[in-house]
Amino acid sequence: MSKKQKIEAAKKAFAEQEALRLQNLENAKTERLSEDDCTFVQMDEKLHDQKFEHEPISFYKDAWLRFKQNKASIVAAAIILVIVLMAIFAPVFSGTSYREQHTEFGVLPPRIPYLENLGIADGCRTMEIQKSVLDTYGDAVVEVIREYNQYYRGKPIPMVEAKVNQYILKGADDYYFFFGTDNLGRDLWVRLWRGTRISLIIGVCSVLINCFIGVVYGAVSGYYGGKVDMLMQRIIEILGGVPFLVMAILFVMFLGAGIRSFILVLIITGWIGMSRMIRAQFFRYKDYEYVLASRTMGASDRRLIFRHILPNAIGPIITQATFAVPSAIFSESFLSYLGLGIQAPEPSIGVLLAEGQGSLTTSPHLTLFPAIVVSLLMLSFNLFGNGLRDAFDPRARGSE
Amino acid sequence: MIKYIIKRVIAMLITLFIIVSLCFLTIRMIPGDIVGQGAQPEIREAMEERYHLNDPLPEQYVTFLKNFFTLDFGESITTYPRSPVFNVIMDKIPLTLQLNLFSLVITIPLGILFGIIAALKKNKPTDHAISVMVVLCVSVPSFVFAALLQYFFAFKLGWFPLLLELEDKGLTLTKLWSMVLPVLALSFGGIATITRYMRAELFEALNSEYMLLSRAKGLTRMQSTVRHAIRNSFIPLCNIIIPMFMNLLGGSMVVENIFGIPGIGRLTVMSISNSDYFLTVAVLFFYSIISLLSVLIVDLSYGIIDPRIRIGGGKTVE
Repeated sequence: MSKKQKIEAAKKAFAEQEALRLQNLENAKTERLSEDDCTFVQMDEKLHDQKFEHEPISFYKDAWLRFKQNKASIVAAAIILVIVLMAIFAPVFSGTSYREQHTEFGVLPPRIPYLENLGIADGCRTMEIQKSVLDTYGDAVVEVIREYNQYYRGKPIPMVEAKVNQYILKGADDYYFFFGTDNLGRDLWVRLWRGTRISLIIGVCSVLINCFIGVVYGAVSGYYGGKVDMLMQRIIEILGGVPFLVMAILFVMFLGAGIRSFILVLIITGWIGMSRMIRAQFFRYKDYEYVLASRTMGASDRRLIFRHILPNAIGPIITQATFAVPSAIFSESFLSYLGLGIQAPEPSIGVLLAEGQGSLTTSPHLTLFPAIVVSLLMLSFNLFGNGLRDAFDPRARGSE
Repeated sequence: MIKYIIKRVIAMLITLFIIVSLCFLTIRMIPGDIVGQGAQPEIREAMEERYHLNDPLPEQYVTFLKNFFTLDFGESITTYPRSPVFNVIMDKIPLTLQLNLFSLVITIPLGILFGIIAALKKNKPTDHAISVMVVLCVSVPSFVFAALLQYFFAFKLGWFPLLLELEDKGLTLTKLWSMVLPVLALSFGGIATITRYMRAELFEALNSEYMLLSRAKGLTRMQSTVRHAIRNSFIPLCNIIIPMFMNLLGGSMVVENIFGIPGIGRLTVMSISNSDYFLTVAVLFFYSIISLLSVLIVDLSYGIIDPRIRIGGGKTVE
């Protein structure tokens, strides 16, 4: 089809359409409606929106529905709960206290009722003993594993490798130290849970205070912007430049180790991350129409900040706080490990780990149990945080 | 750009100044005596003379600062009696540096490799396995790893020596062998962090439009992944690798203690437990400088690595 033909065809089609339109117009003129043909639809009825047929889903319920699907987070939450309950109640219901010493029961391996019958945690340790003195061990020898000769100045000395029940050997047959004892005969079970309690207190307290400072600082900085923001960000820049380790060592040296100084150390620079996040949230939301509307209606700055803008950030705040707890616990055990820990009889997980390290090869249980608890705690908090983040912000799901 | 660098350097110097001042205040305010209780009167006199301990505090502060900026950090009191702190630190640096460099040498390639595998096999069993390992390695503290490795591989199995071999000055095979465990303990966390970032970045790059374009233009999947996606995902990675160096130095403190490595970390711990204050301050100063420098390098490298980010000048969003 040539171009000319195309144009002709288009003209023809247009003309036809125009004719049809005029025809319709003509028809409408002749066909008149009488008044009876019309009725009022809702003359005496009230007009209102339709009622929701389903129950409304709140923000938290929405998050909970999503959180429930994440199995790993549920397990993590359960583990955290168990550890917290143990930290609160285990020291209370144990017969011994965390500082009670039984020097005669030093470094006993773990012994747990029922499990001991299965050969695990039965309070036994493999020892290498001279055969001639084996009888003095009496009932304590459970099993002779092998016999061999050790050569001392060319003379063979018959030796025995035997499994010895330390509890019978040390006359502690009536006791069950679930996680064994340390070199002063203090019950590791009680000390560990008490240490967990202290580590948790330090972690949770510092995170709560950090959240508070971070939220207020970030909100003010983000909401007012301009010069205020400039100044506040410079302060953060300078403060944030001080490495945590340096700050921590200086403060603990100065204040002396204790729960309070640990919390303080974790606060000094700990709130910066939170305040940055909150500030970004404020920059995002402060120019929204609903904020403008509220301001036009006379809402004060405080009301705008806390009632209108801040609730948007509640999800990220909770998530970030959850992630901050394990890192606080880590910092605490790290500092304790460096010898800046909580003072003597009081245990914390880090102190226990540091104590255990010295006798790692002879009594590994002193390191093993604190290591398990601190790893479990950090792992569960991280998984729990992952679940919370996915629940509050589905867009971030799976992106790590 | 130059204006930005100057601004950053000024902020850095202020931070450094605050750190030094804090160090000074901490030392002077600390309960107890700097010289040490049982010191002989002559020693005490010499010390007071040397560090102007009897001057009023502001004057002491000025001399302290003056000494600091001429790199005179004083002398070690108890740990290495009478040797200048500066030399002590210089002595310890090589070993710590060796340890950290070895750790980085394994960390970066392994982390990138695992990250790429996880991103390419996203939501398949391989990815899930890697993710589990990542969460484990990120969560478990390096000193727990160190203790476990030491107990099982050095004590139970006897494959590696319990402590670092220090007989040889140079880098011999036995020394290298004894460094395996500490290096491993240091690396797990780093590998996990890099894997996690690499996976997220690469996954995002794989789903982007330019990948679609490159495939549409006829590149094979291999070509477009290697040349476009992986390349682009390296950009943000640079920004976590540099600060990782600082984290490693911190982490190596504990690991050095466990494996008896006489590096900077062990020096720090010893100086604190021996209340060797001048040594402590100098070590902390050393850490601060490294950390500040690494932050500065990261900030400056943003513009160089990724030209899309313009630094300084003009308005910045957020």
